[in-house]
Amino acid sequence: MAALGAWGSAAAPARLSRVVRALWGWRARRGLGQDAGAADEGKAAKPSFDDETVQNLLYKMTGLNLQKVFRPVKKELKPPKYKLMTEAQLEEATRKAIEEAKEKLIMPPVLKEREPIDDILAEDKFLEGTETTKYVFTDITYSIPHRERFIVVREPSGVLRKATWEERDRMIQIFFPKEGRRVIPPVVFKDEHLGTVFRQDRHEDILNMCIAQFEPDSPDYIRVHHRTYDDIEKNGKYDLLRSTRHFGGMVWYLVNRKKTDGILIDMIQRDLLDDATSLITLYHMLHPECQSAKAAKEGKLQGVDLIKVFVKTESQKEGYIQLALQAYEEAMATSTAS
Amino acid sequence: ALSPGSQLLKGYRGGHVVIRFALGGCTNRPFFRIVAAHSRRARDGKYLEQLGCLDPLPNAHGERVAGLNLERLRHWLGCGAQLSRPAEKLLGLAGFLPLHPMTVTGAERLRRRRRAQEAALAPADGSDGPGDAP
Repeated sequence: MAALGAWGSAAAPARLSRVVRALWGWRARRGLGQDAGAADEGKAAKPSFDDETVQNLLYKMTGLNLQKVFRPVKKELKPPKYKLMTEAQLEEATRKAIEEAKEKLIMPPVLKEREPIDDILAEDKFLEGTETTKYVFTDITYSIPHRERFIVVREPSGVLRKATWEERDRMIQIFFPKEGRRVIPPVVFKDEHLGTVFRQDRHEDILNMCIAQFEPDSPDYIRVHHRTYDDIEKNGKYDLLRSTRHFGGMVWYLVNRKKTDGILIDMIQRDLLDDATSLITLYHMLHPECQSAKAAKEGKLQGVDLIKVFVKTESQKEGYIQLALQAYEEAMATSTAS
Repeated sequence: ALSPGSQLLKGYRGGHVVIRFALGGCTNRPFFRIVAAHSRRARDGKYLEQLGCLDPLPNAHGERVAGLNLERLRHWLGCGAQLSRPAEKLLGLAGFLPLHPMTVTGAERLRRRRRAQEAALAPADGSDGPGDAP
């Protein structure tokens, strides 16, 4: 929740990569030199998560269910406040609510896993045996960004090395505590306990906790997110994340691994044809060499035809999707007839 | 820059700014604050600025945590503050200053003492060994 507070203070009209870049600072690019080269090559060859077009498609698919976004979060009990408003004031209030909802739906960044730090600053062999435990020195100067902070470890063997990422995160949380983050990550993020969370259908809560606890490029963050997405995809619980800020990340993960059948069926069954078409457009953007992408580009197909071409060439569960499409068309026919 | 004359401010004759450890914590649980203070002040008394802390007892991960505000340290060293010997040793271990010569000397003395002890034990074992009654 505090993570949301920090993002809520960003400029209102920005909901896209501009805000993301400002807040996360792209220190991942500045700090880790080798990352910058890889990211640029990725952009030129295939679209990355924070391109304008990709973000637009993912945002459209996320949906804007005000009831779900502003569903009651467990806070201290206060009696409800009633206001008497005219039609115009009600419209104004709804418009402001939509603005705030858009801010709450800003997607957290999807980054590559960080490289482990492995840097020795000094070796003093004659110090061996004087100490039994290591020293961890943190620079607590207030004005340096956390990514550029110096955190060094003097081992009992006399070697002075830079601290590993886990040590860094722990020390920064000790000296500059962030709300919602614990010094030692809670046990719920271990694989054996994630199953219990998924059985209770609390995917969104665990993802929010994960965002508060870990940095977006840490292996734990990526592992928890992937497990959650896999579980959702296995059980078909796509609606749990719809209209939350995690939906975009999930769609990106599934499209990259070509596991789009379940979510396509779910969208057609809920009569969200526009979302289905944007999903397929995204798929074609990411995998331009597949058959349906070429067919779509030649024929400039739209809507249901696009889905049909996609289903014929790229999907595994063809039968199910055909059935769902048929049911949808019948429903459309009966509704237009009646 | 304390000016004598006011009843609240303590005025000293001479003395200089030092960066040293101020001990805090409870019985059997020390905790040091790295502090820039007047040399004539009490060890745990009023200081000019706190520049960091050191926890001498190892934590759950087996590490002794120390925080150092390097920017303010540089400021006080630039103002002409002196360092106490333990502070110099700690900064030498941290890599901010070069290693203190006493750290090296201490390590050598420890190694020499350990070697002497092992040498003393070895002939003692040699004489006791066959003499052990079952």
